[in-house]
Amino acid sequence: MTGADVIPVSVLTGFLGSGKTTMLGHLLRQPEFSRTAVIINEFGEIGLDHELIETSEDSIVALTTGCLCCTVRTDLSQTLQDLLRRRDEGSCSRFDRIVIETSGLADPAPILHALMTDPIIAARLTLGSVVTTVDAVNGCATLEREPVSRKQVAVADRIVVSKLDLAERVAESALLRQLDALNPAAPTLRATHGCIESTSLFDAAFCDRRAGDAWLAEAARHAHHDHDTEITSFAVIRTAPIQAIALTLFLEALAEHCGADLLRLKGIVNIAESPHRPAIIHGVQHVFHPPAWLDRWPSADRRSRMVFITRRIPQPWVGVLLDAIAAEVADVSVRP
Amino acid sequence: MSGAPVELACELLTESLAAWRIRRSVERTSDDAIVISGDTRIRIEPAPRDSMFRWMVAIGGRKRPALSLLAVLRQVREALDPDYAANRVRVAVAPLVPQ
Repeated sequence: MTGADVIPVSVLTGFLGSGKTTMLGHLLRQPEFSRTAVIINEFGEIGLDHELIETSEDSIVALTTGCLCCTVRTDLSQTLQDLLRRRDEGSCSRFDRIVIETSGLADPAPILHALMTDPIIAARLTLGSVVTTVDAVNGCATLEREPVSRKQVAVADRIVVSKLDLAERVAESALLRQLDALNPAAPTLRATHGCIESTSLFDAAFCDRRAGDAWLAEAARHAHHDHDTEITSFAVIRTAPIQAIALTLFLEALAEHCGADLLRLKGIVNIAESPHRPAIIHGVQHVFHPPAWLDRWPSADRRSRMVFITRRIPQPWVGVLLDAIAAEVADVSVRP
Repeated sequence: MSGAPVELACELLTESLAAWRIRRSVERTSDDAIVISGDTRIRIEPAPRDSMFRWMVAIGGRKRPALSLLAVLRQVREALDPDYAANRVRVAVAPLVPQ
């Protein structure tokens, strides 16, 4: 094997809803990322992110068995070996770069540690750079509330601030000060609607990083990372199409009653008025983005699937809320 | 209003109180109303058919109309949850269906 065969593995991390998948989707449409294999790790009982990334590449692997940072020694190592085997066999595109998108709750330190120390991985792969996305709207509050989000920033080679179009300038300034305090060595880049200058985004070498050393050392001491036990993930799946106004009211109710406890909502929704073009919904705490409309269904599965990551919000409430609103909308529709 | 929305409304209120950690019982009455027991008794019933409202909510004897289940939820929570402050909602014009 020559040095040229060593494939860089970059890590894309960032807290829930910070724009990782949106940015990755944008990057994968750029020519320089055409030979990229992607590993997507999702914290939830069903995975959606791989369906939200529109790409012709066949080298996308979804890891939905748990949070990557908790199963890093088995799942990640096995997945990387499988990818290399498929590349060698020619059964997938001949990628020359791997990007791992972590779950929003993942502590990146064990992942980086595994990439650095696993002998099987180290023989053919090298750690590329770590890119951390931070949401300009919720970033300050998230950094204060969520220790793992601070780790994600601390180990970054590049920090990408997203959703600047939604943030007030004062909030942006406060966030930049926080980021600088946590990781002054990492350049801060700006993404607009997920778009970012992709040149050299993933080129920084891990050995350049200084700020994350303490986290990595901690990861070496502790094999397991405990998540906040109040954080849960669940899916709400509905077979019947949902009327657009019912979905709107449902999202409004979630924003009103859940607030910061709704850490993340992602979904693909079969809208009754748009049967051939599903809506992609994103919500982070009380902020919901306007739905994005796919040109077509990404698979034969036409059910509405919404994944929630919440703190102290019970699944039954969310399910019956949607059903009750849908029933009321349907009742109003037929009322003379 | 059909019986189904009342039944779902009853279930929604039960789950909502649990989600908000409010210990009250929710019962459906024989006259198709929903009653939340406790110091402040709350009675929710379908509004008359000729009304522009869908629900009537009586809290401690004071009766107010509600346009939707979301309005009912808001009234109930405001009455029972002293820490409740509706979260700020960002509103932007966006199409409900693809253009």
